[in-house]
Amino acid sequence: MSLKQKLQLYKQQLHQAQKIERQEYDEEVTENEIAEGLEIRQAARDLHAEIFPFHDEYVLVHTERIGLRTLIGHYTPEELFTVVEDWQRGSSSHPLSAYGLKAEELLFFDTETTGLAAGAGEMIFLIGLARVTGEGVELKQYFLPGPGHEAAFYHAFLNDSRSLKNLVTFNGKAFDWPRVKTRYQFVRNQVPRLPAFGHFDLLHASRRLWKERLDSVKLQTVEKEILSTGRTEDVPGKMAPFLYFQFLKHPQASHVAGIIEHNREDVLSLIALYIHLSKKVLGRIDCDPAEQYEIARWYQQIGDKERAFHLFQALADLKDNYGYLSKARLAEIYKREGHYTHALTLMQSAISGKAEPDDSLYIEAAKIMEHQFKKYEEAIEYTQHAIDYLQEKTGDKDERAGQKTRAYLKRLNRLDQKLLKEMER
Amino acid sequence: MKVRESMDDLLNELKKDPNIVNWHTVPGRSATSVPFPGAMDARLRKALISRGVDSLYSHQADAFETVMRGKDVVLVTPTASGKTLCYNLPVLQTILTDPACRALYFFPTKALAQDQKNEMEELINEIGAPLKSYTYDGDTSGTIRQTIRRAGQIVMTNPDMLHSSILPHHTKWVSLFENLKFVVIDELHVYRGVFGSHVANVIRRLERICNYYGSHPQFICTSATISNPREHAEALTGRRMTLIDRNGAPSVRKHFLFYNPPVVNKQLNVREDEMLAVKNIAARFLKNDIQTIVFARSKLKVELLVSHLQEINSGREERAKICAYRGGYLPLERRRIERGLRNGEIMGVVSTNALELGVDIGQLRVCIMTGYPGNMASVWQQAGRAGRRSGDAMIIMVASSNPLDQYMAGHPDYFFSRKPEEVRINPDNLMILMDHIKCSAYELPFPKGETFGGLPADDLCQFLADEDVLHYQTGKWYWMNDSFPANEISLRSAVQDSFAIVDVTDQGHTKVIGEMDRFGAMTMLYEDAIYIHQGVQYHVDQLDLEQRKAYIRRVNVNYYTDSDLAVQMDVLEKDEEAPLTGLDADKCYGDVSVRALPTVFKKIRFETLENIGWGHIHLPEMEMHTNAAWITFSEKWTDRFGKDVFQGALVGLSHLLRHAAPLYVMCDQSDLSVVPKIKSPHNEKPSVFIYDKYPGGIGLSKKLYESMPELLEKVREMAESCGCESGCPSCIGFVNEGKAAKQALLHILGDYSSCR
Repeated sequence: MSLKQKLQLYKQQLHQAQKIERQEYDEEVTENEIAEGLEIRQAARDLHAEIFPFHDEYVLVHTERIGLRTLIGHYTPEELFTVVEDWQRGSSSHPLSAYGLKAEELLFFDTETTGLAAGAGEMIFLIGLARVTGEGVELKQYFLPGPGHEAAFYHAFLNDSRSLKNLVTFNGKAFDWPRVKTRYQFVRNQVPRLPAFGHFDLLHASRRLWKERLDSVKLQTVEKEILSTGRTEDVPGKMAPFLYFQFLKHPQASHVAGIIEHNREDVLSLIALYIHLSKKVLGRIDCDPAEQYEIARWYQQIGDKERAFHLFQALADLKDNYGYLSKARLAEIYKREGHYTHALTLMQSAISGKAEPDDSLYIEAAKIMEHQFKKYEEAIEYTQHAIDYLQEKTGDKDERAGQKTRAYLKRLNRLDQKLLKEMER
Repeated sequence: MKVRESMDDLLNELKKDPNIVNWHTVPGRSATSVPFPGAMDARLRKALISRGVDSLYSHQADAFETVMRGKDVVLVTPTASGKTLCYNLPVLQTILTDPACRALYFFPTKALAQDQKNEMEELINEIGAPLKSYTYDGDTSGTIRQTIRRAGQIVMTNPDMLHSSILPHHTKWVSLFENLKFVVIDELHVYRGVFGSHVANVIRRLERICNYYGSHPQFICTSATISNPREHAEALTGRRMTLIDRNGAPSVRKHFLFYNPPVVNKQLNVREDEMLAVKNIAARFLKNDIQTIVFARSKLKVELLVSHLQEINSGREERAKICAYRGGYLPLERRRIERGLRNGEIMGVVSTNALELGVDIGQLRVCIMTGYPGNMASVWQQAGRAGRRSGDAMIIMVASSNPLDQYMAGHPDYFFSRKPEEVRINPDNLMILMDHIKCSAYELPFPKGETFGGLPADDLCQFLADEDVLHYQTGKWYWMNDSFPANEISLRSAVQDSFAIVDVTDQGHTKVIGEMDRFGAMTMLYEDAIYIHQGVQYHVDQLDLEQRKAYIRRVNVNYYTDSDLAVQMDVLEKDEEAPLTGLDADKCYGDVSVRALPTVFKKIRFETLENIGWGHIHLPEMEMHTNAAWITFSEKWTDRFGKDVFQGALVGLSHLLRHAAPLYVMCDQSDLSVVPKIKSPHNEKPSVFIYDKYPGGIGLSKKLYESMPELLEKVREMAESCGCESGCPSCIGFVNEGKAAKQALLHILGDYSSCR
């Protein structure tokens, strides 16, 4: 049987095997490239985009300048200058810090792709790029008119952007950038080198500050719940692949106009979000205790003890959980510095100030008692509290709790030994 | 205190056993060694010497020199012949000379890759050069993955990983693909049938990607003994191969015994169940703490044997010394068993052919096969599991009453002189091909006019474009779909989706205890079936086809279940046809449609094997298009013998064909089906169909069509040499009008035989 016949015969079975939902069309798919060229030109006009040819390929680029006083939620792009200036006096090592940078060096960046997987078969078909200059927000969107035009697409993007050291993205580290790297492999002989990449990932920052209060830390959720921007007629990002496939079959602006607008708003939101996050971290706007605690922890983790210390101290007097947690953190900082008495006092104050202190704090206190003050009886008491807490809280089922309990019991035995020895002396 | 018997005592006892129908001793062989080849790197020599190797077996030296001359090589190597060095030496030599070079090894299982990596690492340590070899599989952690991609000189993986992880993400593996010098494929014979056809396509994809990055790796393949290693390696890799099959490794003396269980029912010529015999023989060794491996042909039999054998020991700890090993177990469980066998904590293991492969379990003393394993390659692989460095090895094959086993038991000369079978794959199976065209287009767009494994790809790409999977633009077909094709395609099972087996005995703590392909699920995990896992019985509460889950609950009953299928055959197109001279019948080959419906199941009591009940199976019909070979008889035979008798003869013929077919083509029993039809719907004539049990066929029935005269001759011999009068499991089975049917069949085939 010929291959053609076989295809016919197995069509149904193969079709079932594809398991891919299809959309029905009445029109014929045109193969005529001249007609397609005309259609693309019309689409470019409708999208207010210019066509940039490159060898026998081309890319659609939409350029736009947005005024510095345009409102994005509560902010205007103009405020970026103030924020960047503030960073010059703030922490230089904070992951969000623009220390040493000018506002126009920040590149706000977002992509749309043909699928969520990250293999060799997904493409980026839209890149949105914005920078804030004295004249306004300069926004550029690069649109891939078809899979055969990637060299033109990346050529234009890489030529315009030059340095990619200061990208501002939302989940760019895990999503957008690996995909840029993958696609670059296919055109690397035809386009400028992919420059070194560094960036501010606002997903990371948002997750830190708001993961407790948001169901999911997605850009749209952050916009709605935190920035109060909200979109009126948004095309959801997950529709992007489907709409793009439609466009490839019928190159009409209407298929992708919505997704291009979606990308535009994403990029602009990044500007507002960066301003908002920076102001919180820099202490230029009010933070609630949850935010302030997380910001303090962030400073602590990057080794900025001084800033962390001040923030924790401001929280330590609170009667709620953040007060308790902050005391524990302060104690940790004191202990690291060798101020054991201070550390212990804070721990004790935290323990007595809370209905149910957790096991880790008891153990920390026990450690100080044992190793610094050699007060084994007190250490035993704290350890016993920690074990009781675990027993009560988790029962026997939790495996991690079981492990902890075993470690605590070991500690208890050791303390008993020490105590015994001491008494013998 | 119980008195232990030694191996020699047991041997002497067995010598007196009247059921041992043949005792064949395979003499030991001394090694053929040659000095290290002159070109070999001094560091490599030194490393080998310090490991106590001061010369090579002749085939190892052959392999080294042939590979270094740039040839693609296939090696045929029996168990424990030092095959690893055959590929490790040229690979290490090359990487020592140019550290930028890369090698990709793939093994059929993760366990094998792990073993080989450990061995490689020992050698590398001895060499003292900073060479990096890694395993890359589903268990490899994210951080190590990056290192492997960037710097792994030798990457050991499996075809599934290549298919679903490495190839679709080739842009992350640029330094591997740009510098790939060797592709090592171990255990080539495993890649047969559907699995092999898939793997051949994965290799086609690999070649496309290497080509894109400008590399042209050499292939080094190793295989157990099969009759067409070169042809098979060439079909799998698309390369011209040089064959190395002169084995220079030594072997110990092996006693190969055939045990034929006694006839327990003279009238019906029914023999004692082979499982019972195996149990008794294995128990004799196990009771005396002699490490024994038992091979059984199905998962079900493995489980039954384990539960019987564990009864020898009463204590819980003692019971744990005997365990089962088969597919469907989770990796950790397998690792535990392998370790236990190596360090002697586990005394006995009952396995499917999963332990045929080079998984390192050390060498055991005794190997018992429950029936003929289905092909000679398996026989020798399984037998290779027995035989420590010192002392004789003992292999006992216990014949079942199926015709092939009985034939082998009666014709040991035939058995020992038998050529191994052919391995067949069909990489051009349309269903499989289409799957991989999708994956390959995902990896790299297809330019118009490009070929895939030598086939023009345009029509296939156009088909996928019509299905909205690819998009054609400026002379190329591009992937344009938001799915990830490799995820939807499994290389391993006939049907693409696998079912999770969920133990719900403890409602609070349900857990997945294994998985099974769709066909297996529909024939073993239907509602009310008794499913056996690690010797424990479970009742199947629910089979959820949508969610692909089977919910099972622990029970303790004294029966097991077995299912029946109703099968409809339709001929779609006849491609080839030829008369079978003297038989008044034609052989045909072509495309057929098979519709199968599980209908009822029987409950069968363990001890007596009597049927104690039955139930309906409520599952939808499975339909597939595939290739078949069939024999169409003249209606004159129906007239001559009468419908009932002739139908009996056809059923008997099917029974024999099913068992004899694996003599001509290497396949698992589940790869083929045989269906007799007294009036086939396509021409109203009596017919017997043999079809490939995979959509589109995998080349088995084609081969059987070609060998049909020899196959029928073998069937006649089997029927003739059986002593029974009216049919028994060892010839035509139990059919209506057994006596007349057997005579009719012998008459038909006898006529035929005398005419040839």
